[in-house]
Amino acid sequence: MAQEKSEFLKGTLDMLILKVVAAGPIHGYAISQRIQQVSKDFFQVPQGSLYPALHRLEERDWLEAEWRDTATGREAKFYKLTRKGRTQLESEVLHWEKLTDAVALILRTAE
Amino acid sequence: MRWLRRFTQRALLEKRLESELQFHIEQSTESYIAQGIPPAEARRRAVLEFGGVERFKEECRETHWENQWDIVVRDFRFALGCLRKDRRFAFVAIFALALGIGASTAIFSVVDNALFEPFAYKDSRHLVTLHLRDLDQANDWRGLFLYDEFQEFQKQNDLFDSMVANLPEDVVYSAGENSLLLFGNYVTPGTFEFYGVAPYLGRSLAPADYEAGAPPVFVMRYKAWINKFGADPSLLGKTFRLNGVSRTLVGIEAPRFAWGGAELWMPRGPKEPKIIRSFDGRQYWGVVARIRPGVSTQQAAASLNIIAQRFSKIYPKDYPAHFSMEVASFAHIVVPPRFRRALYVFSAAVGLLLLIGCANVANLLLARATTREREFAVRSALGASRFHLIRQLLAESFLLAFAGGILGIFFAWAGVKTIAAVLPDFTIASETVIEMNGAVLVFALVVGICTVFLFGLAPSLKASRGNLEESLRDTGKGLSGVQGGAGARNIVVVAEVALCVTLLFTASLFVRSFVALQRVPLGLHTDHVLTARLPLPPERYKTGAQLNAFFRPLLTRLKSMPGIAYAAESSTLPPYGGIRSEVQVSGQSHTEKWYGLFQLCSEDYIPVLRIPVLEGRTFTETEVNDARQVAVINQTFQRRYFDKKPSIGEKIRLNELKDFPDAVKDPWFEVIGVVADARNRGLQEPIDPEVWVPYTVTGSAMRGILVRTTNDPAAMAKTVAREIWATDPSVAMAEPGTLDHFLDLFTFAQPRFALWIVGMFACMGLLLATIGVYSVMAYNTARRTHEFGLRVALGAAARDVVKMVLGQGLRLLTLGLVIGLVSSLALSRLITSELWGVSPHDPLALVGVAALLLLIGLLACWVPARRATRVDPMTALRYE
Repeated sequence: MAQEKSEFLKGTLDMLILKVVAAGPIHGYAISQRIQQVSKDFFQVPQGSLYPALHRLEERDWLEAEWRDTATGREAKFYKLTRKGRTQLESEVLHWEKLTDAVALILRTAE
Repeated sequence: MRWLRRFTQRALLEKRLESELQFHIEQSTESYIAQGIPPAEARRRAVLEFGGVERFKEECRETHWENQWDIVVRDFRFALGCLRKDRRFAFVAIFALALGIGASTAIFSVVDNALFEPFAYKDSRHLVTLHLRDLDQANDWRGLFLYDEFQEFQKQNDLFDSMVANLPEDVVYSAGENSLLLFGNYVTPGTFEFYGVAPYLGRSLAPADYEAGAPPVFVMRYKAWINKFGADPSLLGKTFRLNGVSRTLVGIEAPRFAWGGAELWMPRGPKEPKIIRSFDGRQYWGVVARIRPGVSTQQAAASLNIIAQRFSKIYPKDYPAHFSMEVASFAHIVVPPRFRRALYVFSAAVGLLLLIGCANVANLLLARATTREREFAVRSALGASRFHLIRQLLAESFLLAFAGGILGIFFAWAGVKTIAAVLPDFTIASETVIEMNGAVLVFALVVGICTVFLFGLAPSLKASRGNLEESLRDTGKGLSGVQGGAGARNIVVVAEVALCVTLLFTASLFVRSFVALQRVPLGLHTDHVLTARLPLPPERYKTGAQLNAFFRPLLTRLKSMPGIAYAAESSTLPPYGGIRSEVQVSGQSHTEKWYGLFQLCSEDYIPVLRIPVLEGRTFTETEVNDARQVAVINQTFQRRYFDKKPSIGEKIRLNELKDFPDAVKDPWFEVIGVVADARNRGLQEPIDPEVWVPYTVTGSAMRGILVRTTNDPAAMAKTVAREIWATDPSVAMAEPGTLDHFLDLFTFAQPRFALWIVGMFACMGLLLATIGVYSVMAYNTARRTHEFGLRVALGAAARDVVKMVLGQGLRLLTLGLVIGLVSSLALSRLITSELWGVSPHDPLALVGVAALLLLIGLLACWVPARRATRVDPMTALRYE
């Protein structure tokens, strides 16, 4: 059922990225580590598929990027949230919460 | 300006993308090394976890708009490659699409131009014509009116906004040897305002031109200006000598102005004195009115009836015993009802053609989709996203639709040109311009292109349903996919075959009818005969003696010319036989009226047409010069009115001659000869009793000449024209041409046109049915590739496979054939009136059509059947 999971992911990956980036400038590798770590390895997708998503969000002006040195002195691309991105995140989170509340309600009461 | 910078710094961006992804892999590798994994293994794991670097790079690039163009170009290149690999499919699909679009647009354009939009006149929906109907005979008595009647009708302005009239007139344009006869019309004041068409050059006739004493002017038709005067703009303002009057050309009318079919229009005010030209001395005007909005044609006719009743007392000869006025919408009279019905049938068939064309394209696309299911499943498994696949299919569909559309536009254009070229004169209004209808073309294009996109995307829908494994497993087997569609596809093929049979059958009936028509024995020889109408100035040619003073020297001169065998005067052209008259035969008493046709001709008429003389003799030159009342009759006359008794020396009376303006006081004629029957009411009608009398007995009626030449008659036209001019410079030839051409124009042109149209439809139907059978059979065999492979592997011979496929095709063909033949036989009743000399259930046509269709249909099945046998059993089985 790999197909189903990836379909599920596509809808939510954007939101997860925005959420992770919202914490402050962060590079791609760190984002993927963070998502895996927080989700307890639920999302098993090729790590590379994160990058098209990042570029897409950047293209939409929800993220902006900047090249700068990491703590180890290497140059990396750091992403951070724009104002537009923050608004988008807020609305997506709101939407998601509504959805999960509704689903949870149905699951609890439909028996 | 970020986008601009990005566009100019593509190399930099590319480097950054690379380093961003590499950074990730390095970080990942380092974290594995930190966990104590050896560097080589750590890197392997990192790369594995990352996935295909190139693929993600590509996906990243795709998110950047500045790369979209490259992506589109790449998709199109790929699509082009795919289509090139399957050329047969591409050609058939493009052709089917183009045929549907082209054929439907062409035919519908013609129907639309001829039927729905024939006129460029102002508010042409409210234009009506007036007719006098004979209630006893249930037909039109006349559609032309006396000037008094017109003036009285014109006063009914509660019914009509306005009303105009035109009087046809032969106009001799005197210009020495280049004298021309033009077809003119006198028009009443307000005519050009009535039609509301702006002139092409100069001006139209203005109110002042109609005043008594105004300088004589005229305007010319665009077509005459182009064809007869070399489109010379300097002619404007020049003076022309027309029927002895000097008139100034003041304007060239717009190309689509052709009122009355005239070549020039001359003003005619109500005060001008009457000129008597028609042979019985009266002027009959064509009348057109613009009916007031809200007034029905019945209402108008009822009011006009009252006026007509009054006039019937004044002009009893011009009215039948029981009559009523009829007001007909302009559009109704333009296209003869028979032709009109044919056009309606055609336009219905057009819609069907487009639908069938689209169904064929859909079938082809589905067939292709099936054979490519595996390709898409593989590509999907290799990581192509659904979006990718859809985009590629879109590119393919676009290419097909584009090529099909372009070719379709070309077909439509060529079709319209062809139809306009073969359309005979007089079948449609001369104002009609046959041109491509843009709206219809767009509609057909949209329908066709939508079909391509809809069915072109079918494989992606299947791939995106996510049944990847199933697709991979199933492809090539006979059981997967949408089996439900098979029924619909088969129905389409059966319908196509049935339609095609009907069209082919109709076409073959037309062919047989046309051949029969051309084989009708005329009874006269039309080859090597030059004919022309000779309208003589009526003021100088009133009596038979005056006519003879013109014709006798002319005929003598012509006969003495090298290359001319005989020259004769005649009052009508064969195979149409003359003036209708009541006849009486001496010594025969009968209660019912006897009718016959008579011709006024010179002594050479019978030899010119080589009609065999059976008894007695034809008249001599002296008898003609003396206007002796002698007659030659045809066999039918002899048989019907003399009833086997000898007729030579008996007398017959032609009552009509008594009523001519130049009347024959005692129209009894002595029969001096009997000649063989020749067609005298056209080819299809039975032969009527006919009488020939010397043309000198009266000065009335229309005259013309017939000249038998030894060589090409058309080449003699100039010589004859010169001799006519030398005899009397005020006479010019009208409609000169060969008798064969005349026969062709009035007898064969319409059936040939019907033949052309139906033939075109039948060819189209045959092509569509062939493509339809082919595409469905190709689809079916493609689905069964695996099965065939298996059968061959198990020892089936190629022959068996072919037989299986053909058997399946044959079932569809036979069903379509039976339905088609039954409906053909039912429908052929409708076209009986268009046929001649052939039964609507002609067995030869039936058998021929069935054989042709089976042959072509099986051929269409055979191609995919052959391909099925060429399947290598190993390949087919490996599909597992």
